[in-house]
Amino acid sequence: MGIVSRAVRNISRRKIRALLVIIALGFSLAIMISIPAGVLANQKTANTVASNLSNIISQTGASINQTLTQIDCSLTPSFSGFGFGNGSIPSGGSGSGHSFTFGGGSTSGGSGFTPGQFGGGTVGGYFGGGAIGGGQASPMNESLYTDINSISGVAAVEPILQASEGNNVTQNLNFNGYTRTITTLDVTYTIEGVPLTASLVDNYPILPTNITAGSNLQVGDSGVVLLSENNSAYFGAGVGDSVTILGQSFTVVGIYSPSSVADTQTLYMNLSDAQALTNNTGYITSLTVFAQNSGVVSSVASAIRTMHPELTVTTAQDRESALSTEESLYTTELASANASDSTTNSTAIEEIVVVVLATSLIVLFVMLYTVKERTKEIGTLKAIGFSNSTVMSQFMLEGILLSMIAGVVGIAIGSIAAPTLASVLLPSGVSGTTRFGGLAVATLTPELVLLGFGVAILLGTLGSLYPAWRAAKIRPAEAMRYE
Amino acid sequence: MSKPLLQSGKPVLQLENLSKTYTLGKRNVPALSNLNLTVNAGEFVAIMGPSGSGKTTLLNVIGCIDKPTKGKVLLDGINASELPENQLYKIRRDKMGFVFQTFNLLPYLNARENVELPMEGRGKSKSEQRKRASELLAMVGLSGREEHRPQRLSAGEQQRVAIARALANNPAIILADEPTGNLDSQNKQGIIKLLANLNLTQGTTIIMVTHDSQAARNTERMLLLKDGKIVKEMQGLHLNKKNQTCPHCGSRIQTNDDTCPTCKKPIYASDDLFSS
Repeated sequence: MGIVSRAVRNISRRKIRALLVIIALGFSLAIMISIPAGVLANQKTANTVASNLSNIISQTGASINQTLTQIDCSLTPSFSGFGFGNGSIPSGGSGSGHSFTFGGGSTSGGSGFTPGQFGGGTVGGYFGGGAIGGGQASPMNESLYTDINSISGVAAVEPILQASEGNNVTQNLNFNGYTRTITTLDVTYTIEGVPLTASLVDNYPILPTNITAGSNLQVGDSGVVLLSENNSAYFGAGVGDSVTILGQSFTVVGIYSPSSVADTQTLYMNLSDAQALTNNTGYITSLTVFAQNSGVVSSVASAIRTMHPELTVTTAQDRESALSTEESLYTTELASANASDSTTNSTAIEEIVVVVLATSLIVLFVMLYTVKERTKEIGTLKAIGFSNSTVMSQFMLEGILLSMIAGVVGIAIGSIAAPTLASVLLPSGVSGTTRFGGLAVATLTPELVLLGFGVAILLGTLGSLYPAWRAAKIRPAEAMRYE
Repeated sequence: MSKPLLQSGKPVLQLENLSKTYTLGKRNVPALSNLNLTVNAGEFVAIMGPSGSGKTTLLNVIGCIDKPTKGKVLLDGINASELPENQLYKIRRDKMGFVFQTFNLLPYLNARENVELPMEGRGKSKSEQRKRASELLAMVGLSGREEHRPQRLSAGEQQRVAIARALANNPAIILADEPTGNLDSQNKQGIIKLLANLNLTQGTTIIMVTHDSQAARNTERMLLLKDGKIVKEMQGLHLNKKNQTCPHCGSRIQTNDDTCPTCKKPIYASDDLFSS
């Protein structure tokens, strides 16, 4: 019968009390590990948002430079609203291709800058048209093509049909005290139909360039698709496989690596295939106009605006000015992410101090009570020849054992409740995750689990130290008289 | 059963000019004053006296759980009054066996585990401890009850377990503080008889504090304590038993049984506690 088995028996002797103490300690420890988990998640989120933002900025900047002669034209989608509180129905980047196709929305509510690039954006009005980015932009008649093609200074016109496939997701958003229920399309893939004519394919950047497997679409291709890497994973299909899109079978000719975030879910096919597939024969969703040179871009743009006032016309210049607006918004967003980070950290530290104190005090009081309750037993043990150090070890061990059990319970609670605990205990985290992605959930890493267990043992030791010392100092003669 | 190491007759306890003063607030209360006492190995001694006469203090000082203010406590030749606590616990463990009025068994340990407690830290294997504990429990009449926890034992049985525990390390002295104080008359007799028998057959030195004059009479030497001093010393019935021969068959008796082991006839006189 060693001190370990005696400690176990003593803990199990008062089952209800042990249970209550273990639950109390377990919760404290769960909180103790959930807080750092939340902080880590918050940091991760902030980092992801930051890196997503900087990627978007650099990619957008690069795209603008490559497409100085491009003019994007689209109909303002009928469902889009502008100004704050509207601008819902973003849809993860479906509205844009590599060519900055517009879902619309430039005339009001902000700049209307390449919404698709930003993966939608729920606070549409605020960011100016971001909301409309994707959606199923209103189809327009293909005949526009001939009108615009005839404008002087136009080198080529690329009619595009874009359609996204996905599931509707409804969520409530809070912004500046308003709540809006919005429905977003959780896009699974976006079809982009481009005309595979020699004049366009050979001379203009209408197709992705970074082919990682197979080959690119060729002039006159039909019944074939070019998938993004994401599409390939989504369909589980590689080069040469056939995929079913909206009930029709296509052969995969190649896979490309997207050059922008917005492109990740876009698959390319012949325009006529896309029109037939989506029942839009004769219709397109946007036009990309290639001016003969960057000098005539603005005159071409104003000619288009005059000819077709219903179109939203955006040039690289427009996009650039929008970019700088966006950049300043990103800066604000980053600053707020960092601020949120530091608020979270200081709150976390305060809370951890409180929880550590609470845990130590629980152990301290429970063990002090135990020692007092067992004064007679301690006196007896000392009278029959137990040394001070054995008595001390006995009580230390009991406290530590109790904390170890509580540690396991705490880890179990934490592994289930860490996200809840973290969200309850920490200030609401980084904003912008809805828009820019990267929301990380508080999870217990193996390090945190080990840390939690280590802290449990440490606090058990600290909390038991004084009670055990008191036990060791009990004088047997006095203890005998104690009833 | 191993015999005690001490030869009967040699002094196992010597108290020299022993004084103990308690400080209560600003008042000094003398509990023991200039007390001298020698107890030889194999003696069965009762300490009696009114409440507050210093009986328990004396027992605690002898048992090394309390320190004298002045004077010497020689245990088996060792001056215990000068030893620090980190030595004293070994004296208590190896030389002393405590028996308490309230038994003081650990409620969460069974009888055998309670008896094993003092053997911990003495380098004995688990199986040796177990064997010794079972032997001791058999000796105090508790064979087959080794696995019972205290709450499943009667008061008398609990005190027997406590006595077995006190004997675990073959101590030089058993110190019993009112061992019959919490027992009914039948169990009281049983415990006194057990102690007397241990003294007779094992040669265990026993010092017992008691209020019970009947119990005291069944020891061999009664000391009356008053105001921290031994004021009277008397012989008890037990002394006669040590030297007695059977009144019926004449054989020498080394037992505390009611009947002579040789001729099976009753032995004791009518004033004996056990014959009544």
